[in-house]
Amino acid sequence: MSEVFAATDFRRRDARDKLRGRTRYTIDRYLPGMLHAAVLRARVPSGRIVRLDVSKAARMPGVRAVVTAADAPGKIGIGIADHPLFARDLIRYDGEPLAAVAADALIQAQAALAAIEVEIEPLPAVLTMAEAIAAEAPLVHPDWRAHEILFAGGAREGNIAWEATVVRGDVDAAFARPDVVIVDSAFRVGRQNHVAFEPRAVVASYEDGRFHIETSTQVPWSIRNATARLLGVPASQVRVTVPPVGGGFGLKFDIAIEPFAALLTRASGRPVRLVNSREEEMLTCLFRENAEIRIRSAVTRQGKIVGREAVVLMDCGAYGGEQIFLTTMTAHTLGGNYRLGSVRLVSRAVYTNTAPNGAFRACNGVYNTFALELHTDEIAARIGMDPLAFRRRNVLGDGDLGATGQVFEGDVLGPMLDRMDTMRVAAEQPYERADGRLYGRATTVGTWFVFVGPSAATVNMNADGTATLVTSGVEIGSGSMMQGLPQIVAATLGVGPEDVIVRAADTDAAGYDVGVGGGRTTVSLGAASLAAAQEVRKKLLKVASEMIEAAPDDLVMRNGRIEIDGAPGSGRSIAEVATHAQAQIGPISGTGAFTGNSVPAMPGCVAGHFIDAIDIPVFAVHDCEVAVDRETGHVEVLSYRVVQDVGRALNPRAIRGQIQGGVVQGLGYALHEEVTIGANGRVCQNNFETYRLPLALDVVPVETSLYEGAPSVGPLGTKGAGEVPILNVGATVACAVANATGKRVQELPLTPPRVLQLLLDRRGELSFPHIAKTWADNLVRPHGTAG
Amino acid sequence: MVQNLTVNGDRRSSAADPITPLVDVLREDFHLTGAKPVCREGFCGACMVLLDGAPILSCLVPAALAEDCEILTVEGLATDGGLTPIQSALEACDAVQCGMCFPGMVVTLTHLLTAKPGATRDDIRAALTGNICRCTGYERIVEAALIAVAAK
Repeated sequence: MSEVFAATDFRRRDARDKLRGRTRYTIDRYLPGMLHAAVLRARVPSGRIVRLDVSKAARMPGVRAVVTAADAPGKIGIGIADHPLFARDLIRYDGEPLAAVAADALIQAQAALAAIEVEIEPLPAVLTMAEAIAAEAPLVHPDWRAHEILFAGGAREGNIAWEATVVRGDVDAAFARPDVVIVDSAFRVGRQNHVAFEPRAVVASYEDGRFHIETSTQVPWSIRNATARLLGVPASQVRVTVPPVGGGFGLKFDIAIEPFAALLTRASGRPVRLVNSREEEMLTCLFRENAEIRIRSAVTRQGKIVGREAVVLMDCGAYGGEQIFLTTMTAHTLGGNYRLGSVRLVSRAVYTNTAPNGAFRACNGVYNTFALELHTDEIAARIGMDPLAFRRRNVLGDGDLGATGQVFEGDVLGPMLDRMDTMRVAAEQPYERADGRLYGRATTVGTWFVFVGPSAATVNMNADGTATLVTSGVEIGSGSMMQGLPQIVAATLGVGPEDVIVRAADTDAAGYDVGVGGGRTTVSLGAASLAAAQEVRKKLLKVASEMIEAAPDDLVMRNGRIEIDGAPGSGRSIAEVATHAQAQIGPISGTGAFTGNSVPAMPGCVAGHFIDAIDIPVFAVHDCEVAVDRETGHVEVLSYRVVQDVGRALNPRAIRGQIQGGVVQGLGYALHEEVTIGANGRVCQNNFETYRLPLALDVVPVETSLYEGAPSVGPLGTKGAGEVPILNVGATVACAVANATGKRVQELPLTPPRVLQLLLDRRGELSFPHIAKTWADNLVRPHGTAG
Repeated sequence: MVQNLTVNGDRRSSAADPITPLVDVLREDFHLTGAKPVCREGFCGACMVLLDGAPILSCLVPAALAEDCEILTVEGLATDGGLTPIQSALEACDAVQCGMCFPGMVVTLTHLLTAKPGATRDDIRAALTGNICRCTGYERIVEAALIAVAAK
């Protein structure tokens, strides 16, 4: 490729209006004649609907439409279609929708909800995974066998919504070796709420037999397809457009409240606005799931990991959702980082009568990295090896096998650890340690990936020398659509990035896209955009070569001109060439497409997996220092450092901004963001008073180093950079606290009461009676047998 | 009953119930959607506006209590379509991500720069504790405020 790409700290074009309060997010959109909607939600975790009568509510003042389960016949899900829009016969979680109302004013819609007559017969509920797995447990889905299977291969049974397994090598033989020590660890983490500042919000209208859904989402095409499936209409009848999104973090990687608004606009003939209240967001946000992990390793005294096995229980809540897919990720996160002689892993998504969980930045990876890195420190301590030396000896390098047998390319983690050493030494400053607090530090490694998959892009060359980039990409705040993508197109066409207009997502205008998340925006949408721009470039050069009378190969595009290479000022402006082309052959445009390249796994290693191997691994090395107050259990983070594998940094400053923000979200997860579920099955943290987010006084500046040059199939060698910064924060803080206190850390978040219990030896060892000691006894179906 | 309010220098009137939170009158009656009702309980600071020069949480102030006061919203801070010094500094530092908290951040920092022209890093961090940001990890916002202080 002849174009030259120079990294720049190109500013984002949406900042000015965001700073002046002019940006119109979905919650800021008000249409003429618009109705306001509200959703009636169940207040029991488990029950049978005996009667649901909306006739009185429908006659309330201002009410224009009421919809219920009868209006939404379909079911959705990942892997299995288990999730209806409204509870039909059974209520499976506190907060499950029962009916929706649209009225002239929100207060009228809310009054109508109160007038809906509901009679519910309570049923026994399973609120924890231990209860759900117990023999004779009530089934969250008594009809689980009847669910339509959308993706074959996962083992399922009763409250086990999905099970994915990995087996590579002879693990039994490894554990039976006489020269190994066996380290057995158990870990538990709670849920995390995304707290996107813009709640899930939608404005829907119904015109000419089609739905127009304007929504705050990361996945316009999923909204289109899932809405259609739930409503039982052709997907082509649904158009989704997306204004600027006020925060996603994975929360908006799934359908939410869009179908309610769609049903209500069709029923009323009026535009309908539906916005979740903060309480609804706090109680039903598709949390990062709570998880329980048992991991065992057989390690030689010299520090070689000859065998590893693990059981990971992931609470999916009342419906399978994202967790079905995330069972796949354990192989690449808990099974990542290190060379393993043999390995077997099982991830089980478990139904409970609680609010459904979902995707959250570095989903699954955050807690599995927490578990893996603490386990690694426990191994190092057991064999008497320095934890950093142990990591250096074992991290994945060029040609090493991953858990599923994929072959990793390039030495990446090793040099990243070296770079972290350099940063740490350069920053070494003696802290005042005479205050009686306990001081500790840790360095951890993490393995993440880019969730590639299909993307499409069109680039239209305008006669004025600007280009319009049309994709289904959404600007969620990360800046990829404002910075990385226009930078890629601009570099290809030799124009300034400010001359690339970026079209907001519209499923009527752009082709299919998986969505903005999984670190895929710059990679997948970027690759499609690059291909589209290259087609435009080729066409322009052909036209220019005729105008300039030079071979296309001798021409370069730069500074808004097409010139003969080595002769600055020769040739024509791009606007002249585009104008000429438009008149002679019609307007110039190009299209591009991308999907993953499917790195192979070892045959037979995986079962129930959606992704057998990771196309673009992303590595991270984190380091932090903490001080722990002996009296209060308060943990202060004193310093934080990140070396992140970015492939290639198109906009280094934007990436550093993602790292600071992602680390701080991770500090909240590590230290004080706690979600608990009451005996009534309801999430206890329903507002910002009870859910403690990181504040300006809590955080430290994160020192960052961007590691470039690791192999990547991403455009120009890029990797996703926005998702991974949160990956090993919980791990690093936990390892540092363990190092400071000398206590065995097994849970997050490390709130002061929990740390104090550790310090006082009042927190008993975790035990999981519902996880069988013998690995194979945990499986509903033996690995490698057909379902 | 009609509330007469002065917003960004304009006299406006609203027929909303006097106990309607000011943020809703600003957004729904006056179409000033800059202030964001994120938590509606006074914890996040995204709905901050200046009331007679003092930053207040417009989700907790009934509209009637803002009568006879000068209300300045984020939309009214910069004149002639430009940016104020703190807005410029935030833009220059690439501080903005999703942007939902920034209307409140800008209001708080505008007040800080007036009330404490020589604000230190610690002053700025303390001033921001009533403004939550979920995206940025705060560091660039603090940096931008320091730049704005230095430029004065």
